[in-house]
Amino acid sequence: MLVVDLTSGRMRRVEIPPELLSAYLGGRGLGVRMLRGPHRLSPFDPAMPLIFATGPLCGTPAPTSARLSVVSRSPLTGTAYDCSAGGRFAFRLRAAGLFAIRIEGKSARPVALAVTSAGEEILPADALWGKTVGQAVRALSGRGSVAAIGPAGENGVLFSNIMMGEGNAVGRGGLGAVMGAKNLKAVVLDGDLPTPIADRERFDRARADVMRLFRASPVIFGELGISEYGTPALVDLMHQRRMAPTSNFRRTVFDGSGAYSGPAIRAAYGAEKEGCFGCPIRCKKRASDGRPLPEYETVSHFGALNDISDLHAIVRSNDACNDFGMDTISAAATLSAWGESRGRFPSPDEVVPLLADIAFRRGEGDLLAQGSRRMAEALGRPELSMSVKSLELPAYDPRGAYGMALAYCTSNRGGCHLRAYPVSHEILRKPIASDRFSFSGKARMIKIAEDVNAAVDSLVACKFAFFGASLEEYAELLAGVTGERHVPQGLKEIGERICLTERFYNAENGFIRADDDLPARFFREPGSEGDGIEVPPIDRARFGEELTKYYRIRGLSDDGSFPDPAFLDKQP
Amino acid sequence: MRKMIEKYAVKLLRDRSAAPGRVGFAAQDDRMVEGGAPDLSRLAADVLSRLSCLGMVAAAPSLPFPELLVRRSPAGSSALVPLDTETRTFLHDIPFLRRGELGADPAGKIAALLSNRKGAIAEGIGIFGAGTVTLEQAYIHYSSVHHAAYVKYLMDVLQDGFLLPEEEEAFQAFREEHLTAPSAEGLHFRPGPLEEPGEILAEIAAIGRYTVERGLVDSCFGNISYRAGGTIYISQTAAALDELAGCVDPVPDDNRSTAGITASSELPAHRRIYEATGARAILHGHPKFAVAMSMLCGEEGCPVKDCWKDCPRVRMLGDTPVVAGEIGAGGLAASVRRVIGASGKAVVYGHGVFTVGREGFEEAFRAMAGVEAMCREEYFRRLDARRRAGPGQSKSE
Ligand SMILES: [Zn+2]
Repeated sequence: MLVVDLTSGRMRRVEIPPELLSAYLGGRGLGVRMLRGPHRLSPFDPAMPLIFATGPLCGTPAPTSARLSVVSRSPLTGTAYDCSAGGRFAFRLRAAGLFAIRIEGKSARPVALAVTSAGEEILPADALWGKTVGQAVRALSGRGSVAAIGPAGENGVLFSNIMMGEGNAVGRGGLGAVMGAKNLKAVVLDGDLPTPIADRERFDRARADVMRLFRASPVIFGELGISEYGTPALVDLMHQRRMAPTSNFRRTVFDGSGAYSGPAIRAAYGAEKEGCFGCPIRCKKRASDGRPLPEYETVSHFGALNDISDLHAIVRSNDACNDFGMDTISAAATLSAWGESRGRFPSPDEVVPLLADIAFRRGEGDLLAQGSRRMAEALGRPELSMSVKSLELPAYDPRGAYGMALAYCTSNRGGCHLRAYPVSHEILRKPIASDRFSFSGKARMIKIAEDVNAAVDSLVACKFAFFGASLEEYAELLAGVTGERHVPQGLKEIGERICLTERFYNAENGFIRADDDLPARFFREPGSEGDGIEVPPIDRARFGEELTKYYRIRGLSDDGSFPDPAFLDKQP
Repeated sequence: MRKMIEKYAVKLLRDRSAAPGRVGFAAQDDRMVEGGAPDLSRLAADVLSRLSCLGMVAAAPSLPFPELLVRRSPAGSSALVPLDTETRTFLHDIPFLRRGELGADPAGKIAALLSNRKGAIAEGIGIFGAGTVTLEQAYIHYSSVHHAAYVKYLMDVLQDGFLLPEEEEAFQAFREEHLTAPSAEGLHFRPGPLEEPGEILAEIAAIGRYTVERGLVDSCFGNISYRAGGTIYISQTAAALDELAGCVDPVPDDNRSTAGITASSELPAHRRIYEATGARAILHGHPKFAVAMSMLCGEEGCPVKDCWKDCPRVRMLGDTPVVAGEIGAGGLAASVRRVIGASGKAVVYGHGVFTVGREGFEEAFRAMAGVEAMCREEYFRRLDARRRAGPGQSKSE
């Protein structure tokens, strides 16, 4: 691991204790473990670490595992925060001879960190400060694979991203602003060291098993799946299921969504397949001019949530967010909440100028840069922020999937769909369908899925792989790489440790049961019924009952607190 | 949870995979819920409490095949490795515990197996299926293990004969008492062509039910579709064929909508079959004798190792072609397309049967029942021939 102190400019390579790797795997787990101690500091405190951690599968041909997690504390949510990202950056980190980079301190001047297998140096980056992500990436790409912040991160936008040069984002929680507060514009990596595989035959067998399951999964390799259409393949499905958040979640069906469906994007932009390093699925789509095309969440939130059905305007909004380095979901949802407060959603032409105002904190942009919760409170309309723990909800209306409703609230990083990802069984029927309009069993399902995904985020593999494969095959891949025995149950137990550690940090930072709650709208207003589908408001009492069950299953008290205040001390 | 337990208890008896009175369930919410035979449900709960899973089925299979396979396994082996598609794709192998290995803490031993697999066999107890997400998933894993073991036993007996003293009698009882003839008798079919979506959906739901009831597929596998007006109406992925109401996706031929992303993984095969045959109805099931017979190949010195995906030959089971190819995007669609035009039937190696109906489902259903009846007859013909030839004769052809 490389430890960098930007205040002093000192850098050293240190060994990660093997017992931490076996207890936390890597990625999210390792990063969360390394956050212990500084977890109570302000996200902008120079001593707050920003951790880039790969996992044990990274650098091998294990499908979808050229990923890393970036971990710190979120300035948007105040929670422990991690985000998994693909591209080529994680692979290069491994190839530079590193498993992780831990960055602390604050540089006096803007700098970039350059790392190769031969060594590392801190480069002056005054000339890059103020530049867009694209400009920064182009300036540094001669040195390798780049992760950079844009003006949003420099200016402390609370939902600013760290962007990978290939267009992948470390999104949602504002880690770009944490990086910006350190005066760190970019990290650039190069190297070509291979990752050893202990048992090649075992690894190859497991890899073949994974690939067979990918091919058997209609969501992954089906003719209507994400390999063909990218995640916008979900647009038509969410429309049909009547759970596409529309007009700041006042409705759940948007008649204009056909304008930005998977097939519509393909027809307008070509949508060439593009993937993270070595990924067979290649769900990223690129326009014929090379621009990365937007994901499902992005098209739906810049679309339905803001009542916009102009595909080109949506794609331009995505481009702007990528260039300024900020999160599309939070940006679009904040604009939508703001639109509702003033009685008018932004017109397609107003969006990009507003995004620029946010990135540079100009005019109304200064308020919008705080995210929807702070913005709505400042306007005296707190109920308009459709967020949990200040994180704006993505494009799955919780009234249309009750596991999702619960998972938004139990997620340790705020209203995120990816922690437990119940969309997989509630909507996509993988690995099996569950009843989306029932709370029955959901507390247990969500708890298990959170643990599984914490392990997945620590390996680090892509969530989409699990539309086909399961931990069974990934445990085998891990066994092949390490030569040790791994089974799904053991990985789930690691995941459980990670989830509880995050929750413990959050509890120490003042989070309580009342923070595990949805905006009141979802308990009061119905969604848009039709086609034989009713979308009633969520039953608050039943929701509360299931939340209590979740706490009990997690071994917590009914108020969501830890019965054992020394929990953390007992963890490895 | 209780309702779910009752539902799957009924299913396990109706599909005749579990012995009456010998089915136990456990499901954990914030507390453990048990149902069924008390000894089995207690054991299931004990196993489940040690795993990060939601539900568990523990049941004695109606046929002794899983048990016999364990006893036939060479000393030192700890897992069955059936070669059918369900095992290869989802189960990988089926770990087992012999009676003597259960020790003082059988639940702990069984949980250790299930910490790494979806299903397992414990000699003297039965099959365990674990469900991470739902109880239905536990039922499916039970059902997969049952199916795989059934097919493997058929094949092993044909290849190696009876190895244990009690096998002959058990097999005779299976043949004479358990088996019922696959047929379409007494079923009502709507004559095609069908045009109206409501009618198509109702017919698909009925045919799905028939296919399960007549033993041509286990409830959670197989798929079914009908094509009308430029749209394929196809059962959804992971849908139970006997519960298709609300689980059919309309998929337009021109892909103008991707709402069918939840359609069966065999959508590509259905599309290719419609292209090749111009038929209106397609039925796909996993009838057990057809699956077993598809894997019996007499070819000597063949260099192909992974027959299920690499075999380039078209073999014949009577007038039905057998081809290789893995599910979904794994090649099956293309290989079935090549051969199904001639007879409207095709068997996929180690997997199952596709049949078509030019107007409605009756033709497809009768064809599938016919393929299974023919495979069953041929199976017993070979078995009887083998036994007449004596124990020295171990080739199946
Ligand atoms: Zn099949």
